[in-house]
Amino acid sequence: MDSPLPYRDRRPQGAADFYFAINATFRFIQDRLGLAGLRRYWTDLGTTYFAPVATSWKQRGLAGVAAYWRAFFAAEPGAEVEVTESPSVVTLNVKVCPAIRHLREHHRQIAPTFCQHCYFVSEAMARPAGLTVRIAGGNGSCCQTFARRNDSTPTQDLTQIEEAG
Amino acid sequence: MIGVYDFNGHYEWTFAWLEAEGGPPLLREYWDVAIHQDSQSHAAELIRQKGFAGMQEYWGHTLNQEGGTHATTATESVFRIDMHDCPSKGFLMRNQLQQHRDYCDHCIGWIGPLLRRAGFVIDHQHNHCGQCWWEMRRATDAAPPSRPGEVTGARDVRLRPDWKPKGAALDTYSRANDPASKHSQQE
Repeated sequence: MDSPLPYRDRRPQGAADFYFAINATFRFIQDRLGLAGLRRYWTDLGTTYFAPVATSWKQRGLAGVAAYWRAFFAAEPGAEVEVTESPSVVTLNVKVCPAIRHLREHHRQIAPTFCQHCYFVSEAMARPAGLTVRIAGGNGSCCQTFARRNDSTPTQDLTQIEEAG
Repeated sequence: MIGVYDFNGHYEWTFAWLEAEGGPPLLREYWDVAIHQDSQSHAAELIRQKGFAGMQEYWGHTLNQEGGTHATTATESVFRIDMHDCPSKGFLMRNQLQQHRDYCDHCIGWIGPLLRRAGFVIDHQHNHCGQCWWEMRRATDAAPPSRPGEVTGARDVRLRPDWKPKGAALDTYSRANDPASKHSQQE
């Protein structure tokens, strides 16, 4: 079976030090373009770079969402994440966020808005597939819930996503 | 979440996004401020403190972590890298990802300013196919780049039969620290 990941590498997992660059990129964009600019960057990234993921989710629905995140976190060094699925929802129980873990282990200053990227990127991936995501927690562990989008779904309360540090 | 398994993909995508937002100056500032001074601050510290030994220590670790095939050579006057199979450019080519006009410029984009602060200059060429070479010398050393094979012997990437693929552009930096200072030559 083909991997649910849109891009493939020769190694089973990525290099953890790249979390330094992801964190630094967020800080730089927020410093230069403001929080609105950073959120626009995340949304553009989810909409364009991750378009193949949205296409897959549109075709496979929530089963595709679950398969994607299982493969994704298997390729992230240090991740401890439980993915559960039901007919109406996919839940990611992020017990140990690999990025926050690695940044802390190396005493890096973490961009306070770091955890918001999960919402803005994933929502941009989910929207074209008729799905939506809600996130609670952050700063090392969180719960992410993917479900079908409908008019009664409350908007994401960003105060439910913790500042990182 | 965005992750590290495909880091080179969204990193390269980010170059094009930043350049669309603020032109080449914003992208060059990103490589200097975000990558050199923030993400790779550990490299900057090592190289400023230890010079060539710090280069060996840094690239010995990071190139092994990222994979790929390379050789490093250190003498008393030069630190040389021969990249035969760049893991990040290779990832982009295998996945057919290209948003920015020259992904390879990002290396000198952050390494150039780092070495300027540490007192070094760079001779460098890349062929846009996953092969490149670097020679770092003290800024006070006026020596020209080595001849093929002179420093690294048979591991010199310039001795590869595919070093100058037909139709590819060979980009050259001479005693440089600035990503804008390259000369491009079509083969």
